[in-house]
Parts: sequence; C-alpha cells; structure tokens
Amino acid sequence: MDFFEHQEVARRKSHVLLFYFFLAIAGIIAAIYGLVVLILTLSGQEIGETSGLAFWDPSILLITAGGTVSVVFLASSFKTLQLSGGGAVVALELGGRELDLNTTDYHERRLLNLVEEMAIASGVPVPSVYVMDTEDSINAFAAGKSPSDAVIGVTRGCMTLLTRDELQGVIAHEFSHILNGDMRLNLRLMGLVFGILFLSLIGEFILRNAFRGGSSSSKKDGAGLALVMLTGGLGLLLIGYIGAFFANLIKASVSRQREYLADASAVQFTRNPDGIAGALMKIGGLFAGSKVAHPMAKDASHLFFGSALDSMFATHPPLGERIRRILPRWEGTFGEVSLRPITDAPATQREPRRA
Amino acid sequence: MSAFVFILFGLAILLVPVIFVVVVYNGLVQVRNRCKNAFAQIDVQLKRRHDLVPNLVESVKAFMAHERETLEAVIQARNVATSAREHASAADGASIQQLATAEAGLGGALGRLFALSESYPELRSDQNMLQLQEELTSTESKVAFARQAYNDAVMNYNNKIEMFPSNFVAGIFHFDAATSFELSSNAERESVAVKF
Repeated sequence: MDFFEHQEVARRKSHVLLFYFFLAIAGIIAAIYGLVVLILTLSGQEIGETSGLAFWDPSILLITAGGTVSVVFLASSFKTLQLSGGGAVVALELGGRELDLNTTDYHERRLLNLVEEMAIASGVPVPSVYVMDTEDSINAFAAGKSPSDAVIGVTRGCMTLLTRDELQGVIAHEFSHILNGDMRLNLRLMGLVFGILFLSLIGEFILRNAFRGGSSSSKKDGAGLALVMLTGGLGLLLIGYIGAFFANLIKASVSRQREYLADASAVQFTRNPDGIAGALMKIGGLFAGSKVAHPMAKDASHLFFGSALDSMFATHPPLGERIRRILPRWEGTFGEVSLRPITDAPATQREPRRA
Repeated sequence: MSAFVFILFGLAILLVPVIFVVVVYNGLVQVRNRCKNAFAQIDVQLKRRHDLVPNLVESVKAFMAHERETLEAVIQARNVATSAREHASAADGASIQQLATAEAGLGGALGRLFALSESYPELRSDQNMLQLQEELTSTESKVAFARQAYNDAVMNYNNKIEMFPSNFVAGIFHFDAATSFELSSNAERESVAVKF
C-alpha cells in the first residue's frame, strides 16, 4: 500500500465533497428565492420591474441569501456549541471509564502502552484513554475538539480480543483522526446539517400559526394571509428536509473519506499494514462485529473505528473495501475469531488455562 | 526630497538580504532544535529500556538458574549500552554510531535470553513475566517510533543545510549535518519482536 498516495486521494476527495456542501447551500438559497418570488406573486406584486427580467430581482436575492445564510449559520453555531463538550464529556456519555495510568491489569496496561507508542509515532500529545466495559464488540473512537483535549475510547472487546499489532493499528487509526482534525470537521458538518434542518423547523412553526391565525382574524384578509403562510411554511419545510437529506449524504461521504485517510495514516504510523487489516478482519469475522449497543452511539457514529450502526447514511466505508485498500493481496475471507482474550504470549494461546 | 527617497530606496534594497539571512537562520535553528528534541525522546525510551533489564534478569533468575552466563551477558550488554547512552549527543555522529552498536549488542543478548526461556514453561505463564514482557515490547516499539521521528527530523534538517539557498546561511554559521540513528545489525531488528 502506498499510504501517502492513499492519504492524498482521501484528502482531495473530502475537499471536493466540502465544495458540494457549498453547492447545497447555494441550491437552498435559490430555492428560497423562488419561494419568496412565488409568495410575492401570489400576493399580487410584480417581480422584476427594476431589472427588466421577469422574476429577477437582485435585492430580493440579496435579502434571501443573507437571511438564509445567517439563519443556517446561527443555528449551526448553536448546535456545534452544544455538541462540543470536549472529549471527556463524550467518552463519559458513551459509557466510558477512564483508565488509571497505574493499572496492573495486563490488557489495560497494554492499551495504555500502545497509546503512548502512537503518541510518539504521530507527534500528538498523549490523550486520556477510556474503556467501554459493557461492549463486547470491537470498536474504538476518538473525541474532542483539539489534540489537547482529545480522548481515545475503546470497547472491552477491542481491548481484549485483538493482538498487540492489531490493537496498535486501531489506536493509530484513532490518532489519525486526532491529528487530521476530523472530530472538529465532523462537529461542523453536524452543525451545518442541523442549520439546514432548522429551516424546516421554521416552516413547521409558520404552518402551525397559519391555521391558528386563519381562524381568528377577519375572513377576507385572513384567507390571503393564510395562503401566503401556508405556501411559505410548506416551502420552507420541504426545502429544509430535502436540504438536510442531501447534506446528510454529503456528510456521510466526507466521513467515509476521512476513514480511508485514517486507515492510510495508521499504516504510516505503524509501518505495519497487517495490524490494522487484521483488526478489520476480526470485526468482519466476529458476530458482534463493530456494533455498539449504547443508545448514545447513534449520535457519535462518525467517531468510531468501525461502523457503529448499519444504514444507508453509513459513516464508514464497507469493511472489505477498507481491507483491500490496505492489503491488496487479501483473499476476501474474514476467518474465525476466538472469543478468548489474547495476551500475545504463545504460552497462553497454546495452552489456555482452565480457570 | 528626491535624494531622501533615493536613500530610503537604497536602504530597503540593502535590508532584503539581511532579512533573508535572519529568516533562514531562524528556520535552521528551529529544525536543528527539532532534531535535538527528537534525540532526547529516543534517550528517554532507551533509559527506560535499560532500567527494565535488571528487573527482567531479577525475575527470570529464579527460573533460569542454569543460564547464568546468558544472564550475565545481558547485564554486561546493558551496562555497555547505558554508558554509551550517557555519552551520546545529537551533535556527535560517532557517539550515535557507538550507541547504535551498543543497543544492537543489548538486543542480541536479550534475544538469546528470550530464545532460552522458550524451554521454561513456568516462566512463560508467569503473570509478572507477562507484564515485564509487555513493558519491554512497548519500550522496544517506542524506541523504534522515536528513532523514526528522529530520523525524519534529521532528514528535514540535512535537506535544509544542503539545499539552495539556505545552504549559504548554513555554511556561514557552521550548521553541520546531523547523523541519523540506523540499526547496525540484524540482532537489534529481531529483538523488536520480543517473543518467548
């Protein structure tokens, strides 16, 4: 695997996708402009007198563009602020327990050592480490706004079922997310999606008041106003939902590119493609896979190492494709996974103790 | 008035090379300090490795009473490596070579110890031993990653002092090429994978 080239491709693709995001915002502004023109026409005004073209009025476009951008921006900043509680908050919400740096448990010790190793390899400060004790699947996440407040969390299965090299690959993958600022990028994207969705919330609010207002005010005036509010509300509702749908699709694609980038960076840090590929194969071979049961997992799916959920808006590329990019010679079989904790010492693997 | 402007213009032209030299000089100092820092990181990890070895020998002694020579060889190699480490500095290429050789010797001695330990089943299932093995493995790989970071920093620094136009400034102020930390034998390479 030429990991530098893979990283380059993933970076370029995610930049193209971010450009799509701006296109989506432009589309939304155009749609709202159309809506405003429709409403004004409905209420009997001539559009396009100043420019000479029918339905073309630069000042209306300027006002709608300004209005839309500021609404989306304000709503998304609010959401981003709300979400950015720092890495430790996210880890605790997901049911994580912070590891004691002086632990004597073999697997915890090994995990902490691996985190220190990867901090040296990637040049990032050592983050604190959390374990999700009740999760038997193999998964891990990085959370936090910046490298200085970042944390790494792993499931119990991840900590115990992987060999040292495999776990090293997983940790290196998470370090790439920290180093490349993927958590912050994701926060911003989530904020933007909410900002767009907020338009439909405004639409819903207008719709509700349209019915209430129609009944109370005088008949003739009320009918005209109700029609305008109905059109406006319904239009905003649709624009918000359709916009959020596409924004979610783009967000998921960005997330998938960042996963490829993190896989390629993990190989760069460890210089060992077999480690991370082995971990991915174990996820594929394990019945529990990478599914995380915690109810908060849905909101944080983009943070994880493997897909925490299955859906059309998957934040992670398919396992097989990821493995093939790391190990082109892979034959496509996941193999069986032992559910016995691994200690990396051949003695305990060959002759498991019965106790 | 025009003479004043002329003088100002001449001063500005004179200032350009001065600013150039200052900027390049500061850049060179920065990359050289990065090398030193990266070397200090290796030093920290090597020290840790050297501190772990007596613990290891102490722990296996009880099980491997008949392997005194091997154990003594490990201690001997460890002491050589410790003194080489204490005398090594990033500015002195020869000392880095010596340290690399001493580390390779220690790696080889440890490799023999672990090979021998294969035939002591009680040792392989001992919890304390398992922990020590993990610590050593981790330290080996930290040394490897720190060395990787150091070598990257050295390459970056050497590129700067050899490339045009910064090579002029480097020549004037005597910035000398740094030595990368290379493995000198296969023994060290093998010891990175501590298994027994």
